[in-house]
This record gives sequence, C-alpha cells and structure tokens, in this order.
Amino acid sequence: MAERMLVLIVEDNPRNLKLARDVLNHAGYDTLEADNAEDGIALARQARPGLVLLDIQLPGMDGVQALGHLRADPATRDIPVIALTAFAMKTDRERFLAAGFDRYVEKPLDIRELRHHVAAALGQA
Amino acid sequence: VVGVDHPAVSKPDQGDREATIGRLSRDLADAVERETATSEVLQAIGRSAGSLEPVFETVVHHAVRLCAADAGMVFRLDEDGYRLAFGVGGPPAYRRYIEEHPVPHGPGTLVGRVELERNAVQIPDAAADPGYEWREALAIAGFRTMLGVPMIVDGTVVGVIVVWRSAVDPFDEQTVTLVTTFAAQGELAIRNVQLFRKLQERSAQLAQSVDELEALGEISQAVGSSLDLDEVLTTIVTRAAELSGADGGSIFEFEPDAARFVLRTCAGTGDELLADLRRLRIGLDETFVGEAAARGEVRQSPDLDAEPADPYVDTLRRHGWRSMVAVPLRREQEIIGALVVRRRAPFTLPDATVDLLETLASQSVVAIHNARVYGQLEQKTRELEVVSQHKSEFLASMSHELRTPLNAVIGFSDVLLDRMFGELNERQDEYVRDIRSSGRHLLELINEILDLSKVEAGQMELDLGPVSLPNLIDHGVAMVRERASRHGIALESAIDPALGTTMGDELKLKQVVLNLLTNAVKFTPDGGSVRISARCGDDEALVSVSDTGVGIAAADQQRIFEAFQRGDRATRTNTEGTGLGLTLSKRIVELHGGRIWMESELGAGSTFAFAIPLIRAERPRAAASQGAARGVAGSVLVVEDDRRSADLLGVYLEDAGYDVAFARDGVEGLELARELKPAAVILDILLPRISGWDLLAQLKSDPATSAVPVVIVSMVDEQGAGFALGAADYLVKPVDRSRLLDVLDRCTVAGRARRTVVAIDDDPVDLALLEAVLVPDGWRVVRATGGEEGVRAVRREQPAVVVLDLLMPEVDGFSVVEQLRADPLVDDVPIIVLTSKDMTGTDHDRLAGQISFLARKGALASQELVALVSRVAVTHGDA
Repeated sequence: MAERMLVLIVEDNPRNLKLARDVLNHAGYDTLEADNAEDGIALARQARPGLVLLDIQLPGMDGVQALGHLRADPATRDIPVIALTAFAMKTDRERFLAAGFDRYVEKPLDIRELRHHVAAALGQA
Repeated sequence: VVGVDHPAVSKPDQGDREATIGRLSRDLADAVERETATSEVLQAIGRSAGSLEPVFETVVHHAVRLCAADAGMVFRLDEDGYRLAFGVGGPPAYRRYIEEHPVPHGPGTLVGRVELERNAVQIPDAAADPGYEWREALAIAGFRTMLGVPMIVDGTVVGVIVVWRSAVDPFDEQTVTLVTTFAAQGELAIRNVQLFRKLQERSAQLAQSVDELEALGEISQAVGSSLDLDEVLTTIVTRAAELSGADGGSIFEFEPDAARFVLRTCAGTGDELLADLRRLRIGLDETFVGEAAARGEVRQSPDLDAEPADPYVDTLRRHGWRSMVAVPLRREQEIIGALVVRRRAPFTLPDATVDLLETLASQSVVAIHNARVYGQLEQKTRELEVVSQHKSEFLASMSHELRTPLNAVIGFSDVLLDRMFGELNERQDEYVRDIRSSGRHLLELINEILDLSKVEAGQMELDLGPVSLPNLIDHGVAMVRERASRHGIALESAIDPALGTTMGDELKLKQVVLNLLTNAVKFTPDGGSVRISARCGDDEALVSVSDTGVGIAAADQQRIFEAFQRGDRATRTNTEGTGLGLTLSKRIVELHGGRIWMESELGAGSTFAFAIPLIRAERPRAAASQGAARGVAGSVLVVEDDRRSADLLGVYLEDAGYDVAFARDGVEGLELARELKPAAVILDILLPRISGWDLLAQLKSDPATSAVPVVIVSMVDEQGAGFALGAADYLVKPVDRSRLLDVLDRCTVAGRARRTVVAIDDDPVDLALLEAVLVPDGWRVVRATGGEEGVRAVRREQPAVVVLDLLMPEVDGFSVVEQLRADPLVDDVPIIVLTSKDMTGTDHDRLAGQISFLARKGALASQELVALVSRVAVTHGDA
C-alpha cells in the first residue's frame, strides 16, 4: 500500500475546515489543520505536507501573504498550494493564479471538484 | 437762335426788330439764369442731407438777384411766430431787429398775410398800406414794395420767402412765378430734412432694437445652455447696463432664511465698491432694493442724494454714484433678488428701457431658478451615487459572508448524499436533497445579486467579441430541451440564418437567452408550447420568446423587469428562479445598447423580446439599407392643434429624416417634451389648455428641457416675445419647407452635420451641378476643389456623405480615400465616387471595401443621385 499523502488545510471557519477534512480523509488523505496563516506556515515547515489548501480570507495575515512566505522559504517553496475562496468576482480567479497559487477552488465547495483538484495537484489525476 | 420762332418777330420795322431782338436776348438770358438758379437750388437740396441752411442761402441769394430786390429772407414757423432762418440785404439794424423779433401772426404783416392767404402776396407800398402794422420794422428797414410766397408742408405754412424793394416798384408776374418756384424747392428741402431726421431716428431705434434682440438672444441662449449661474448673471447685468446706458449694475440674490440680499455679480463696478458691496447685507425693510423686491415694482431714483439713507444707497453715494434703478426678481410671489443699474450722474430711464430691464430681470429669475433646481438635482445625484456605492460594497461583502456558511450547507449535504458515512434511508435522502437544493437556490440568488450590484456600480464590463447569434440561440434551446420535453412542452425555434455574427459578450447574451427560455418553459403548463424566433430588424437583431403560459396581468407588466418581481405567475416549483433574471437580462441588453420588452395577456401567454444593434465585425460599406430615412436626423416634437398644419409639418420633417411626435395641446406638448427630450420642438402659439408662450416658458425654466431648441411656428408675429422667452427661432405661417428645415438644421446639434455633403472635385462645373441637384433636396453642400482641401473639409464638417472625384491634380481621389479611412475621426463617413476615369482592376482593388458607391460621371440621373446620397447617409446614420 502506497504511503498516504499528507494535506495541510488552513481555514478559519471550523465547519468548512471539518468539511474539507472529512472529504479528504474519506478520499484517503491524511490531514493537518490550522485556523490561521501563521500556524499554517509553521506547520508546513515542520511537517512538509504534499499539498496546502489555503483559505484566502483569514484573520490577520491573509492567504495571499501566507503564500508569499511559503514561496520564500526553500523548505516549503515547492509545495503546491490551492486557494480556497468565497470571493466571486471573475477577475479574482486571475488575480489569485497570478499571485502564484497552483489552483483555485471556489466556495461553496463542490466535493467532487475538490477531490479532483487535490488529486491533480498531487499528480495523481 | 432759339428765339426766332417767337411771334413778336413778325414786326417789319428795323428799330422795332432790334428792340425786339434785344428784349428776346434779355429774356433768353433771364430764362437761362433762372434755370441755372433753380438747378443750383436743387443741387443744394441734394447736398444738404440734414441741414436747411445751405438751401435757404442759395434760394435767397438767387431770389434777390433775379428779382432785382434790395433784400430777401426766409422765415420759418416757430412757436411764437415766424423766425428769420436766413436773410441778405437791408440795413444791419433791420437784420438785428428781425433776428430778435419773430414776425407775428395775423394780417398786420406780410408774412402773416401769406400764412392766412396760403398764397403769394404782394404789398405794393407797405408805407401806404393802412392794414400794415409792423411799423417798427418798416421804419428801420425802409421797405416799400414787398413780395411773400408761402412754403407749405403737410397743409401748414412752415415758412415764407420774402423779397422787398426800398422803392415802390411792384414785382411782375414772372418774378412772382420765380419766387413761387423757389418756395416749392424750399418745401422739398424741408420735407427732405424731415424725412432724413425721421430716418435717422428710426435707424437709431432700429439699431437699439437690434442691440436689444441680440442681447436677449445671447442671454436666453446663456440661460438655456449654461448652468453656470455666475456666468449667466454677469452676462445679464453687463447687457442690462449697456442697453440702459448705465455706467454699472449689480444682481442681488435674496436669502430667505436670513431675509437679506447678497451680491451675486456686478458690471462696471470698481474693486473698492465691489469689496464694499460684498460686505453689505441689505435687509428687506426700509431699503431701496428691499422695497422694490418686496413690492414687486421697479423703483427709480433719478438722484440718489434725495434718497433716504440705507446701507446700499450710502455705499453707492460714497463711491460717487448718483442715480439708480432697482428691478425686482420674483418668481410668482417668491422674492428671488433684484437687478440694479446705476449711473454716476442723475438720470431718469425712459419707460421702454425699464420694460427691457424687466425682461432681463425675468431672464435672471429663470437662470437662478434653473441653477437652484439643478443644484438640488446634483446634490441628490451625489447622495444617490454615494448610497449606490455603499450598497454595492455592502452587497459584495454580504455575498462573501453568505457564501461561507453555504459552503457547509451544500458541502455536508454532498458528503451525506455521497454515502461517505453510510447509507441513508429514503426519507433522509429526500431531506438532504431538499437541503442541498435550497442551498443552491440561495447561492444562485446571491450570485445574481452580486451581478446586479456590479452592473449598478458600473463594474460589469462586456467582454466583446464576434458572437454567432444562431449558434447562441441553438445553445439556449439545447439547454432547456430536456426540461421542456419532461413537461410535454413543444419547443420551436425559427432563426433567420442571415442574422449572422454581431459584436457582443457571448457569455452574457447566452445568459439572457437562457433566462428568457427558462422562464417561458417554467411558466408554461404541461403540454403547452414555447417558440423562439430571431430575425434582422433595421440594423438590429430581434429575438423573441413566446409561451402559452398563464400570461401576466397588465398591472404587473410595468414592474416585471424590476428586481424580485415575477408577477403573480404560478410556478410549477416555487423554489425555482430568483426573480432577478429579468432584471439582470435587462441590464445586459442595455449594456449592449439594446432594449428589452414584453407583451402579455392574462391567459393568453407572454412574449418577451429583446433587440440589440447588429454590429458587424466587418461592415460591408456598400450594403444599402432599403429602409426609409426616418429617425436619422433625430426626433422632433410638433405641438400644433390644427391637424392640417400638423400633418404638413409632419410630412416636411419625416421626408427630411426626422422622427416626428405630435402633441395637440400645450399640456400634452409639455409632457411629451419632458418624456421624449426631442432634438427640437416646433411650437404653435395659439393652443388649447396652455398657450405656446406658457409652454415655452415652462420648457425653458426646466433644466431637463431648457436645452431643447424651440422653433415657434405661428400666425402671430411676435418675434420679440418669442426670442425673449428663449425661442431658437420664429417662423410666421405659412411656413416654407426649406426655411423650416434650414432653421432646424441650424438649431439642432446634429442637424448640420447630418444634412451636409462634402463634394470634392477639381471641376467647378461638376461641383455646381452637384449642388444644384442636392440643395433642393435639403442638403447643404460644402465644395472642395482639390484633394487636400477636401480632406480638411471632411474633418471639419463631419458630413453625412462625401462625393468624390478620382482624377484631380496633386492629391487625387484614391489618396483622399486613404487619408479619410486612416483617420479615426472620419473613417466611417460614406464615400460616393463619381468619376470619368476608366477603372482598371488595380483601381477597383484600391477602393474595394473603402467606399459605398462608384459610378461614372453622368451615369446617374439627378433623382438617382439624390436617392443614392440619402440612402448612403441613412445606412451610415443607423449603423
């Protein structure tokens, strides 16, 4: 049996955190959780997950800034990051992809879409 | 030689003959001399345009000489008798005497007798005449025989020519006749001078009237077109001062809250006085200006030194002003302010000038009122903009906040329905599906609210590209086909394949078509039918969707495009739809420059339709529309109660490409003018309900319509009043077609350009020919005799059509086409090429796709050319 992949979820809303965790666990991924950007960055450095799901609107440091920190650190630079956002402007997608996110998933999450993006980002699609 | 046929020559006696010849020669010489004198007087009359003196001088000199008199004079009628106008001869004491003493009326003097007799009078010996009473003059002058001849103008003896001799020697008949001739010439001269003075007076009046009219025109234009109040009021007060011959003036505005007048603007006022005036706070009571405004009456002070003291009067006096007139500015009973003109010298204004000032005052009132209303509007608009901005931000942030919990609602429903954590029983499955579909409905609602708020905040932009309308509609039909068939609804589509491609935002237009189709299917009972059709209209695409549903009550139709209004339509499933789809569709269609509408009857189904302009990615320029020219030149509202007049005006205007709306009375006219905002209003004066004057005044005082030019067409010739109230022009019935169109072209903004053709040809004969053909059809033809001049003319005039010759020296027609097409300002002006060149294949290639029409010179009949120009202009104008 292949090693289970580790996904870090950074999300401040506990119910949405739980939703993402349940969906990913059920799909066979291990998960780590953080409810703010600072803890998320620290966890990423420490645990080196295979993927980070990063909410954009977080208390304090936001998702875009957090991505900057992850990309600036050689230890976390190569970890793929998926943006999770409830912003709905058409231009937002371009803005976030331009900021360096690997993928972009709009909330409310479609759980099939989430599974697809996670698998694709981990090279398992 | 002349006298040989005289009957007196028949005497045979030699001595007699010599005497006779001698007499005849003298007669001849006399006759020549008289003729010469007469013609000299006439010349003097001709030279003396405004003055009689030279004429009288010539008359008196000749009269004295030819009559062999000792003295001669001309007396003119004056208040206290006849005064000497000119005299020669007689002792100096006599001349002094008659200069000081006018000749009295009555039979006691020669002049008095001439006045009474109205004919030539001779007194053979004044000294022996018992009735002669002017003895003092007689004693000083020593005259004996006197002759007087009247000068009669308009039945009055206005003057008398007198000659006298100091010996008793009566004047013969010939002399009397001669002096009578001079008197007639004197009459002519007096009449001339009177006419000349009248003419001068009239000219001066006319010049004044023209000045006033110009000023009024300028002001009413300023009032109508400019909402910069200070600019308008400064124009008014400057012209008021000029026209009333004053040295300066001011306009005060009344502040009702503080019950005082403050200075708005000044003319002809030095800096020091201005500074003082700005500090002044003039009250309503016991002030010159306040009383004029409060009573609503013009107040004049011919001499300020006689006025009771008040702050304003004191200030003026201190700065050396001596007289003033204050004209109240009132709107009905409301005090708006006062217009003041003032002079540095004591002065009373004539009534006519006071009337003029009142007219200017009413213009000021309109201007101030306009500005106040506009100010309020602006304020409201700004507030609304702020509110709207806040609303958009609020909605954007709300939508974010709402999506976050929905994430859990929809997501966990999905988790359960995916059986991630075990099997659900049938009822659990049903309820979780209900939760999920409610969540999705809520999400749809939020998305549409967000879209709408983006439209309203001006943030929705169209992503324009070529859109295939038939494909777009097919796509929409495919999207609803399954649902329609589920409910046994027949789905038909009729698409004109010629519809082709237009420029638009494909995704958003898809949204509109899908929304209309979804609604139609949704509100049609099972077994009904839905039909979508699409076709080309006049340069626009028309798409309509009809259903056999329950229809919409008339009362609900008005609001159907407003947010959250569905009408009382029974839906199959109440959870479907957001009530925002039509609102959003309307906004999207409008962003495309189109329009959306609906027709429905309860129980008979509904039709929703929209039209968007067909903008071809590559417009074939030569494709001529067969449609009539209507609407190209803009809309004109005709306010006329007489049907025949209205019909005639309608025919004139429609032929010239105007869209015409009619109102039969003043009230309807006002409503339509506000609603349509036409390019111009044609206004009759004698109208039922409210008169044309009232209508004009109301249009001009409403900022929403004050810029619409109004042309009065009336039986009543009161141009002055028309212009004063702000009419753009005034035509007296019956109205000439070309005059009417000229006036409209001049006063409508786009009219000029829309009826202009620039003709470029190096042959002036061909240019004249074109002009002769096009001008009678209402075109204005601007000629250019060379390519370079032509390109300049097209850039300057922005004409509706260019008619171009190809063979020209220096810059030829091909080069003109290239230059025009390379200039974004004029790259779409249609070009008709008329040439005598034998066109080669290369020539055709050079012009391909660049011009609208090519013909050989002389190949088109006049009427064909006129039709061609109109058609090409129309195609252009509608695009």
